[in-house]
Amino acid sequence: MIEARGLVKRYGSTAAVNDLSFTIRPGLVTGFLGPNGAGKTTTMRLILGLDYPSAGTVTVNGKPYAQLPDPMHEVGALLDAGAVHGGRTARNHLLGLAQTNGIGPRRVDEVLGLVGLTDVARKRSRGFSLGMRQRLGIAGALVGGPQILMFDEPVNGLDPEGILWIRNLMRSLAAEGRTVLVSSHLMSEMEYTADHLLVIGRGRLIADCGMAEFIARGSGQAVRVRTPQPDALAQAVAAAGGTLASVGDDGQLEVCGLTEDQVSDLAFTQGVRLYHLAQTRASLEHAFMELTADSVEYHAELPAAK
Amino acid sequence: MTSLMIATRPAAAPAPTLGAALLRTLRSEFTKLRSVRSTYWIMFGLVVASAAWCVAYCLGTVHQWPHMSAQDRSGFDATQNSILGLALLGQLVIVVFGALMITSEYSTGMVRTSLTVMPRRGTLYAAKAAVFAAVSLVVAFVASFGTFFLGRVLLSSTHVTMSLSQPGVLRSLIITALFVEACGLVAFGIGALVRNTAAALTLAFGFLVLLPQLVRTLPVFLHNDLTRWVPGGDAINSMTATIGGQIPHTFSAWGELAVFAGYAAIVLLLGAVQFARRDA
Repeated sequence: MIEARGLVKRYGSTAAVNDLSFTIRPGLVTGFLGPNGAGKTTTMRLILGLDYPSAGTVTVNGKPYAQLPDPMHEVGALLDAGAVHGGRTARNHLLGLAQTNGIGPRRVDEVLGLVGLTDVARKRSRGFSLGMRQRLGIAGALVGGPQILMFDEPVNGLDPEGILWIRNLMRSLAAEGRTVLVSSHLMSEMEYTADHLLVIGRGRLIADCGMAEFIARGSGQAVRVRTPQPDALAQAVAAAGGTLASVGDDGQLEVCGLTEDQVSDLAFTQGVRLYHLAQTRASLEHAFMELTADSVEYHAELPAAK
Repeated sequence: MTSLMIATRPAAAPAPTLGAALLRTLRSEFTKLRSVRSTYWIMFGLVVASAAWCVAYCLGTVHQWPHMSAQDRSGFDATQNSILGLALLGQLVIVVFGALMITSEYSTGMVRTSLTVMPRRGTLYAAKAAVFAAVSLVVAFVASFGTFFLGRVLLSSTHVTMSLSQPGVLRSLIITALFVEACGLVAFGIGALVRNTAAALTLAFGFLVLLPQLVRTLPVFLHNDLTRWVPGGDAINSMTATIGGQIPHTFSAWGELAVFAGYAAIVLLLGAVQFARRDA
């Protein structure tokens, strides 16, 4: 259980985190979403006591993090997989962490096996790939067998196999009744992983609700289309007051704010050829873009769909 | 996979006492120190630099010896000549050691991981400083006694007596090692203050090497008043000398060391306050 009450973190005149209150409950994967610069990492650093809040409080199992007697047994966190000394071997790195909480080398070797790093345990982590480093960081979070786990952007830069591994790990950790908080800006990934969502933008809470409810708060419904003329369709949709986003890699587009019939009529009058047209539940990505449109720090022109 | 994790979950022990937590953190910091290669390179560098100075000076002396006057010979401080390299060059090397001990945590980002597993910052800082102090003290003593005996071997042809039982010799060996140790602690504290290797080294060298030089440029009456309070410089001479009178305007050898240790304590304390207060 993680509880934040009126959490504020100011850097100079800008508030990276502004009056955040939330409760992260056990047994769920809570997806912590927000555009880049929304304050996700800052919030996690505040939870871990790495940064001090300008106002408000945050507790872990009812106590400020710094007062946990053996934090590794209660919280496992991976904020930055690169935050290791590259000259140290994987095993020595983990051992150094574990010893502060009275955990011995046997458990370290066990966890190295758990994350699949046994073969490179005695290699310096400088030569590790991003995926291996991520596994090492996760091993550090798991060593103490904690009930609460926090991961900041864990799938960033991973290959599909690594992403799948992380996704399954999160799911099984939550299935065991643990509290899992995972931040990401990759909506499609969160759609697979998270049960509950905590959405922030510009440091403020936008939503704290279940996945289905969040999507329903947006337009809820969407129309999936496939077309060889995405640019023309994008213009027509925008002119008619809808929004268009690309989803997936197979050239599918998603239209929100317009019905199936309206999209079909638009395509007909504009002479845009459609290969596929179907009503669907809006994707998390679409709902997210609608609900956080005002809170994106740096706007870019939406690139024309390919 | 994860069921294995539950089955082997270490039992959550009762909250460790302050002493137990410190002991665990000391063990962790020692693991961290001994598991990076740079530690060994720096310790090796310290010993080699001290020994190289000793060899160069002693061989030079041996070469000069036949041409030296009786007065020069009697005024020759064999101990100081052998160990001065540790005080002057070792000082530079240990500054790198002390600064890196803490700035490498910041440059790699490791400090955030360290503080996540040991969030009591005072305990972490104390353990880090203590492990550094213990390891570097051993190396400093090895170097001070090592160069003394190396010098004795090299100077044997001059038949100068060099023995630990001579007045001032043991004192000089101990004080030189402690002086070098204190230099390392100053750098450690500065490292915690500025959190950046280059900045820490620049400031530490400025404080230990440049500042004494600047004081020398002051008018004589000011210099004479200030010099005993200035780290390094003339102080090194007072600390390492075993024969001849005390240098004027300075404290005794132990007094100079005490002044210097005072500086180290202040800088360490300032570093601790910053380490505890600032965001990691």
